[in-house]
Amino acid sequence: MNTTYVPADYLPILIQMGLALGFIVTTMLVTHAIGPKRHSVKKDDPFECGIPVQGDARTPISIKYFLIAILFVLFDVEVIFLYPWAVNFKGLGMTGFIEMVLFMGLLLAGFFYIIRKGVLKWE
Amino acid sequence: MFPIVLLSVFAVVLLFLGFLKSRSVLLPATLLFLVAALVANFLDWNKTYLYFNSMLRTDNLSMVFTAIVLLSSFLVVALSGSFEDDEAAQPAEYYAIILFSLVGAIMMIGYENLVMLFVGVEILSVAMYILTGSDKRNLRSNEAALKYFLMGAFATGIMLFGMALLYGASGSFTLAGIASYASHAQQGLSLIFYVGLLMLLVGLLFKVSAAPFHFWTPDVYDGAPTIFTAYMSTVVKTAGFAALLHLLAASFTYVYSFWGIILAVVTAITLIAGNVTAVYQNSFKRMMAYSSISHAGYLLIGLAALSAQSRQAIVFYSLAYSIATISAFGVLMLVTRQRGMQTLSSNPLSNESFDAFNGLAKQNPLLGLAMATSMLSLAGIPLTAGFWGKFYMFSTAVERGQIWLLVVAVLMSAVGIYYYFRVIIAMYFRDGATEPIRISPVFRYVLVAAIILTIGLGVAPGLLQGLF
Amino acid sequence: MTEFLAFFKTLTPTGYLFLLLTALTVISAMGVVTARNPIYSVLALIATFFCLSGHYILLNAQFLAAVNIIVYAGAIMVLFLFTIMFLNLRREDEEAKTNLTKIASVIVGGTLMVMLIMIFRAKSSQLPVGSTVGFEPNTGMVENLGHLLYGSYILPFELASVLFLIAMVGAVMLGKREAGDRHF
Repeated sequence: MNTTYVPADYLPILIQMGLALGFIVTTMLVTHAIGPKRHSVKKDDPFECGIPVQGDARTPISIKYFLIAILFVLFDVEVIFLYPWAVNFKGLGMTGFIEMVLFMGLLLAGFFYIIRKGVLKWE
Repeated sequence: MFPIVLLSVFAVVLLFLGFLKSRSVLLPATLLFLVAALVANFLDWNKTYLYFNSMLRTDNLSMVFTAIVLLSSFLVVALSGSFEDDEAAQPAEYYAIILFSLVGAIMMIGYENLVMLFVGVEILSVAMYILTGSDKRNLRSNEAALKYFLMGAFATGIMLFGMALLYGASGSFTLAGIASYASHAQQGLSLIFYVGLLMLLVGLLFKVSAAPFHFWTPDVYDGAPTIFTAYMSTVVKTAGFAALLHLLAASFTYVYSFWGIILAVVTAITLIAGNVTAVYQNSFKRMMAYSSISHAGYLLIGLAALSAQSRQAIVFYSLAYSIATISAFGVLMLVTRQRGMQTLSSNPLSNESFDAFNGLAKQNPLLGLAMATSMLSLAGIPLTAGFWGKFYMFSTAVERGQIWLLVVAVLMSAVGIYYYFRVIIAMYFRDGATEPIRISPVFRYVLVAAIILTIGLGVAPGLLQGLF
Repeated sequence: MTEFLAFFKTLTPTGYLFLLLTALTVISAMGVVTARNPIYSVLALIATFFCLSGHYILLNAQFLAAVNIIVYAGAIMVLFLFTIMFLNLRREDEEAKTNLTKIASVIVGGTLMVMLIMIFRAKSSQLPVGSTVGFEPNTGMVENLGHLLYGSYILPFELASVLFLIAMVGAVMLGKREAGDRHF
């Protein structure tokens, strides 16, 4: 393990991010600046395949999407716990393995429960 | 430690028992699991252990608190038989969440590390948000859950910030580490330390609904299904006070001069806000919500004084309060269900008003007796457990010399007698068209047990003494 | 002002980076609460999370920085957007707050802010005991984090799974559409 990590090691990443951002911002600004602008009612209308625009884009959606999303977040967080464990896998030895099996066991019980409940079934 | 392991496993088992066709197995199974946890709890009796690098402690005090929490949930679960008839109810999930939440409660009782306290508080709170909103098609239940969740999440945030500041000041999450930092109080501690302590206290005081952090309580207790209100007002409060007691006694005795006066003022505000507002309530359930705020005030007396007697006083008071509250809510459930069937009115407000109890005692002597005992106990009338609870609390204040607080508390108990007796008067001296209410055997046992415990502890308060 | 300028000159590049990030964090956090459109609020919140990740990197906690972006800026923000879709907010039913609540919240928030600023500016005699002497710059690395998490903090870690399970069961219990519920 490299023992002298300093924040300055992130300079390349920072430069990369700066370049990426800079490229996007400049292209956007430049295209806006050099292109001609013509406004009309038809042209500024949201494009909807020729059908007249109706209502609000934000309509209520089914709770099912949210349920899936929230379950995804839970398992996402769970998976993140695996990372520090995997890095230390050899050092932790058998105890570490059992610890993780217990943790995963409880959560997999939850996963099995979700499947049995039919939450992931999409009618 | 054993109850935590057992309860986590049992809760998962319950979740899967819910897939069985028959629902009738759930209630006995849950009760059995709770008894098993209660037995396992006492395996370490008279020994003190620190588990997992001083994360969790078991000693007699923590075991007694755990026992109170388990006993309360046993009584509550025993009263929850009505789920079997309700098609929309999901009893397996309810019971599993109750068992899971008990894990959180036990963590709050036995923590030695602030991380454990935080995870415990979160487990208990998240479970409570869910149970509050469990009556999915009732708008008031939804509103209560949302309100509780938003405010509770905010309070948790403040608490977490407080913990971070305490860590920043003392460099430690363990109670012992914080105490060793606080022991340098003479040389001047970092201000960050004091602010951290304050924020941690604010978060925990919110959870036990002490004023001025009590505004969520009436709406949440009122909107939640009654059975879960009973659970919330007993288990959460007991666990919260156990956590506060351990926190202050283990880590912050050196800076008592700082928080002692703050807690004393909070106590006085809580007592006044709870008792005075309770007088104006027309709904019994709301009255019980304000009464639970006022009881948080009485329990705070023992914390604000933090004398040698405080531990015993808080244990005794929370036991007396839990039993009386559960039996009162049990009777309320029976009465509301009866009234709901009679009048077919969908407005639950009218079923939960004081008038619902008119003439109850004539046709239903057992219900009358159970309700009267618990009201007397909550009011602190001699020969009930509540009297000795208040007596011990007040004596801690005397020991610390907080006479002004004692005066406030005594005055407010007098106010309390007024609204508790309204129920008794309605039951015994008013006329009302009440038919005999069918009481299932389990209900009968629970109510009788509550009466016996309340009177028994009132006659012989020494039973609990010297246990821890 | 001169004091600040003098302080400004003594800073290292990291110090400048910190100041820049802090300014960005504060601005985007203010954007979260002042934006009229809830979607803009969420976008500002994402910006805040990215700035916070930058702070984590400055503190040498790279793992935390990555997790913060993956979980908060990624997954949780999606939930926020979903929730906004559920609420179906329109401009006309925006609830107007009374002046009294505004004044009260300004007073409460202002007091807290002044208090915190005063405390963090407290003089050096009251500085924390946990000083920089025993500072280990690699504390935030994944390897050390794993050692702590699966060593001394194993119990809270295992019990966190109980928290996840409760959240799972609760989400399914409250969110699952029952037969006969409204269907969009």
